[in-house]
Amino acid sequence: MNALLISAVMGVLMMFSSFMLKSKSAVRNVALAGMFLILVANILDTYGWHLFNIPTEGMMHFDRFSLFFNSIAFACTFIFFLLSARDMEKVGINYAEYFSLIFFILCGIVLVASFQSLLILFLGIEIISIPLYILTGSDKRNLKSNEASLKYFLLGSFSTGIMLMGITLLYGHAGSFDITVLIKAGEKPSSLAIAGLLMLLFAMAFKVSAAPFHFWTPDVYDGAPTVFTSFMATIVKAAAFIGFMRLFSTAFYSLHDQWQMVIAIITALTLLIGNITAVFQQSIKRMLAYSSISQAGFMMLALFALNGTATEGLFLYVAAYSLATIGVFAVLIKMKDYTFEGFNGFARHHPFLAAVNTVFLLSLAGIPLTAGFLAKFYMLKAAVEAGGFLWLVIFAVLMAAVSVYYYFRVIQAMYFKEGDAPVSMEVSRPFQWVLGVLAFLIILLGVFPNALLYWFYF
Amino acid sequence: MSITQILFWVLTAMAIGSSLMMITRKNPVYSVLWLIMTFFAISGHYLLMNAQFLFIVNLIVYTGAIMVLFLYVLMLIDLRHDTEPRKNKWLKFAGAVAGGCLLLVIVAALKDSDIKSNVVQTGEGDIGLIANLGKALFNEYVVPFEISSILFLSAMVGAVVIGKKE
Repeated sequence: MNALLISAVMGVLMMFSSFMLKSKSAVRNVALAGMFLILVANILDTYGWHLFNIPTEGMMHFDRFSLFFNSIAFACTFIFFLLSARDMEKVGINYAEYFSLIFFILCGIVLVASFQSLLILFLGIEIISIPLYILTGSDKRNLKSNEASLKYFLLGSFSTGIMLMGITLLYGHAGSFDITVLIKAGEKPSSLAIAGLLMLLFAMAFKVSAAPFHFWTPDVYDGAPTVFTSFMATIVKAAAFIGFMRLFSTAFYSLHDQWQMVIAIITALTLLIGNITAVFQQSIKRMLAYSSISQAGFMMLALFALNGTATEGLFLYVAAYSLATIGVFAVLIKMKDYTFEGFNGFARHHPFLAAVNTVFLLSLAGIPLTAGFLAKFYMLKAAVEAGGFLWLVIFAVLMAAVSVYYYFRVIQAMYFKEGDAPVSMEVSRPFQWVLGVLAFLIILLGVFPNALLYWFYF
Repeated sequence: MSITQILFWVLTAMAIGSSLMMITRKNPVYSVLWLIMTFFAISGHYLLMNAQFLFIVNLIVYTGAIMVLFLYVLMLIDLRHDTEPRKNKWLKFAGAVAGGCLLLVIVAALKDSDIKSNVVQTGEGDIGLIANLGKALFNEYVVPFEISSILFLSAMVGAVVIGKKE
């Protein structure tokens, strides 16, 4: 509850700071301080220091699962602000309002991670989506950004409609929005409940961009300003996954046999489409959009398995994927040319940036000694433990091998090709330090995953 | 058949008929007018359930404010030319198949679901009265109610961000 209220207040505060503060660096510092405050408040909440005591009538439940994920998401957002907040200035004139919208999205993330009633889940998904439509279209003079925003808005509203229809059918079945009631009602499944479940499944699959509901992803991620793509593809997608996991591991757990096959098919399709299409991309930004689809396929394995390893693995995956992708995007924003050729000879001009970028890409590809490897390992282990679907595990390993190709193309361009890799803006020293810390974190998690997972239990 | 039942069937036929008319009209202005008709029929349903507050809000907000907004937007854009692009035949076919599948699933779901007989309280229920609605909203549902203010606030900020001149 701490984080929810403070991030809502921060959103309002940023609106005020847009006309109270004259300089942009002051606005940025307020946002950074606020983000830090939210992170600290959430950690205090985890260890029993509740700043607010609000009876939620059983609609929200702040357990370790939700609070731990909130901490990961807030820490990633803090790093994102440190790296890319300066680049938001270039998007448009409403600098403080962008921060305000991001703080509102964080409210939605808290709701999605800790809902106990389908009503709250719906509100959370909406609070995440609506500011995102606007952030996508915030580069108003760019036609591609406008198109992406409209497309995202139309498809997003449609999927929300399907979600509401599913919630309605579930309400008709159980007579309540409450998850505990749904669990009890799930013991005697009716076709009404199954239809509702499938609709919720499709709507959530749309939000996490799993195939065949992924068609919006490349256009929206490509069209949106790159800073906001970075936020959208990492923290928001992770939050949608946590909501997905929370919904299906509690409310629909008793119907696990009914939907496991559907999830397995969606997972395989997501892995196939994401990886194969990413191979053919010329623009790195678009390649990263498809790579986010394929990474979503791996995270779907946690939903498929639904056991202890899957929960731990999802946290590790979320952290590894978010940190690495934020890093890659932060470097990409500095480039003038977003194609693979734009990175030619990058290592000679910026050896440090090329080195950390290599660490991020290796982690995304899942090479040992990076966090990405262990995250993928946990996912596969969970799927094997769930049993029965060995073909899915083998297929996932094959697809991970395919993904190495397009991540290594960037590394190849940076190190083994001649060129001058035009950089569009100055690379400051603090920026490099933060990137270095990020790369260190990824290697640390790759060697000691318990550095993160320990905090889930203690 | 009691009066309530007759009214229910009339309103249902009206709602389904006018929504079908709405999606089949070529001219968007007619579509909007048929949509108003649909909203009227649905408001009538609320009244049958004795939900007077929902009835009046649905009437004022949807048929009043939102529909007028729609009509204004339609007047602002030029509709004299046939701007609607011709759709691919196969796309239409795929859409029909997908929609038909959804219809089948929902019919199958509703066919053998045992809806309890008194799910809908017609006439005598008083949960829809303003006093009771207010009590439920500010006791049991106060947290989601307050949280939805964040949603509206973010929509307002967004409108300013999109609408402000650069």
